[in-house]
Amino acid sequence: MGGTVLARALCGTLFGLDGVRIDVEADIGPGLPAFHIVGLADRALQEARERVKIAINNSGVDFPGQKVTVNLAPAQLPKEGCGFDLAIAVAILSASGKGHLPDGAAWLGELGLDGSVRRVRGVLPIAAHLTRSGATQFYVPRDNMAEARLGTPHPVHGVRDLQELVAHWESGNSLAADAPAPGGSVAPPEPAYDLADVRGQATARRALEIAAAGAHHILLIGPPGAGKTLLARALPSILPPLPPAESLEVTAIASCVGLLPPGSGLLVEPPFRAPHHNISAAGLIGGGGAVPRAGEITRAHRGVLFLDEVTEFRRDALEALRQPLEDGRVAVARVGGHAVFPGRFILVAAANPCACGFAGESGRCRCTPLDRQRYQARLSGPIRDRIDLQVLVPRLPAAELLGASAAAESSAVVRSRVLAARGRQEARRPIGPLNGALTGAQLRRDARLDDPGHALLEAAADRLHLTGRAIHRVLRVARTIADLEGVENVDSTHLAEALQYRDPA
Amino acid sequence: MTTLQVGDEGYPACLRQIHDPPARLFVQGRLPAEEMIAIVGSRRATPYGLRVAYRLAADLSQCGVVVVSGLARGVDAAAHRGALSGPTPTVAVMATGLDRIYPPEHADLAAQIARTGALVTEAPDGTPPLPSRFPVRNRIICGLSKGVVVVEAAARSGALITANMAGREGREVFAVPGSIENPLTEGTHALIDDGAKLVRDVDDILEEFPTLARVHARARTYASARADRYAHARADSGPQETALRDVWELLDLDIPRHHDEVATQLGITAAELNRRITVLEMGNYIIGDAGGLRRRGPAS
Repeated sequence: MGGTVLARALCGTLFGLDGVRIDVEADIGPGLPAFHIVGLADRALQEARERVKIAINNSGVDFPGQKVTVNLAPAQLPKEGCGFDLAIAVAILSASGKGHLPDGAAWLGELGLDGSVRRVRGVLPIAAHLTRSGATQFYVPRDNMAEARLGTPHPVHGVRDLQELVAHWESGNSLAADAPAPGGSVAPPEPAYDLADVRGQATARRALEIAAAGAHHILLIGPPGAGKTLLARALPSILPPLPPAESLEVTAIASCVGLLPPGSGLLVEPPFRAPHHNISAAGLIGGGGAVPRAGEITRAHRGVLFLDEVTEFRRDALEALRQPLEDGRVAVARVGGHAVFPGRFILVAAANPCACGFAGESGRCRCTPLDRQRYQARLSGPIRDRIDLQVLVPRLPAAELLGASAAAESSAVVRSRVLAARGRQEARRPIGPLNGALTGAQLRRDARLDDPGHALLEAAADRLHLTGRAIHRVLRVARTIADLEGVENVDSTHLAEALQYRDPA
Repeated sequence: MTTLQVGDEGYPACLRQIHDPPARLFVQGRLPAEEMIAIVGSRRATPYGLRVAYRLAADLSQCGVVVVSGLARGVDAAAHRGALSGPTPTVAVMATGLDRIYPPEHADLAAQIARTGALVTEAPDGTPPLPSRFPVRNRIICGLSKGVVVVEAAARSGALITANMAGREGREVFAVPGSIENPLTEGTHALIDDGAKLVRDVDDILEEFPTLARVHARARTYASARADRYAHARADSGPQETALRDVWELLDLDIPRHHDEVATQLGITAAELNRRITVLEMGNYIIGDAGGLRRRGPAS
């Protein structure tokens, strides 16, 4: 062969949660047989050489016995992972004489040694991005078809393996383009936890309902075994289902971080994340190597982030939560650039009242007042300042645990009240925010007080030494209580209740 | 800081009379000249003990009596704080050097005491809190005081040792009674059994010192103000409104109850209970904290 042959295939990758267009160029030229990949490829990508070569050989086509060079453009962007395998393979096949690739086609997928095409992460946002940058049809792994269809209006072909693709090329065999897609959305699974399973705990249940209705952060304080974890896990069951736009956002995030079940379409249930307390700051809010990775707060976006034993978390990790708690997102800078990850979630924190866990139970606590102060100080002021609701969760007497008390309300009943309260908030502020994120200025409009209300708040601020921030917390909670009651004006009864969810220390 | 030798003019006469007065005393602040009464008790006192210590000390201070104690956690600190709430200075006798405040969280309290009263110790600067130093310190507390009031002390406790020492030195011994179910009354009840004076309020203490005319005169003018201050402790002092009274009547002065328990007993929702609690709190009838809900007593 005399001159060189060049082929291009369109592909994409993730930077943070955004799709990025990558052009894969394959060149076959004279020289000793060799295979190079250039363009800031990481380790896993270098290994693509072996996967692609063997996969092509095992698909009934001979890998070209010449000098093969693959370039990933733009070359300065760091690239990682296995999602380029399919694009590299088709570019090489095209350059080696299999003919032109279809116009406007984008190729996503990882190859197995037998030529099978395996699912990859981030297909939804990549497909959406490539659609904007001109792709008109998509070849993706079969398990990723459903999510690809959420990202693009163009035809999506499901590829099982390279052989099938070669046959499709040579003889026009149809791919799984029209194979039955596994539904636009998955039916919401029965929530695993229901409020009906929570015995007693009237105060904590009420606080949880308020937290769900206004998207307020909540701190549960109680001895070990009081049921804090069960309460937290029941919170998603009383949250409203995700509206379509948020649903797409949550699905895209799940796709990027590899949490989307194979073949799954749109996720409609709010996510629930409960990271262990030894998590690093980067693990919690995002970070990582050259390419920024989403952290737990982004996985919990539009859902619930549960920090059990919150005082045991690393201090720097907790401090890192300040920005997302304030802004609902976090900016992470890395070598390759700067990514913004969304992270608007309801924070549920659980803590023991003191190091031994038995404060308030006469005779069992062995902590000195200083020990207790130190323990409480581990949850720093700036984090506490952003938690609107704080409640004590006591250990229940045995009689209640054994079911002597009347059956508790189920999540479905509570959820209907939460939905009504959310409706009132949306009527008032169609583009948000919900009550839990109202600023001081917004509160002056949304939570205007009558005279008795004013008098009560003023007296309470004096008597209970409330700071400006504490007053805002009380007003936000009072606004949600009024919404749950279905009334427009916040009055002193709402305030009186809201004042009880303040810092009990 | 000043150093007093046993022969100095400013050395307290009372203290010189015990059988082994300290050869020298380190003093920060000014040692008051008024009569002194010690209040001692458990470091792990109950809320009841803390309240009583605070209240007796506040009353003594109002009557012009200097309260002496040991700056320890629990009863000692409550007594110093009570005394500081009144017009008379208070004296803290320490087991450590003046530069080593123990426990460390009482640094602010110590500074406050030294502003009007005095920190006193026999130990030179740099002395750490050694266990052997505490009984030695207790003998100074006895020596400075005309009487020792014990508020909550377990059997074989430091406070009890101080009281017995006071008895041997011919000082008056007083004890505050409490619940027989509380282990911290074993010591105080044993003292009463042995002839210590039972204390219900400050008058029970002052009665034993009929010669202190100035103190008695002040006690008389202060009597009516005192009655007002403790009105909340009486059973008929609750809120008038039925809805609030129902809640208040279920609460105890000492043992906190959780919201849910009270709501269940009254058959009201958590939301309704929380509304009532705020009103009760604002009216100074109850306290809600990390432990739960309690009736508000005097000075707590």
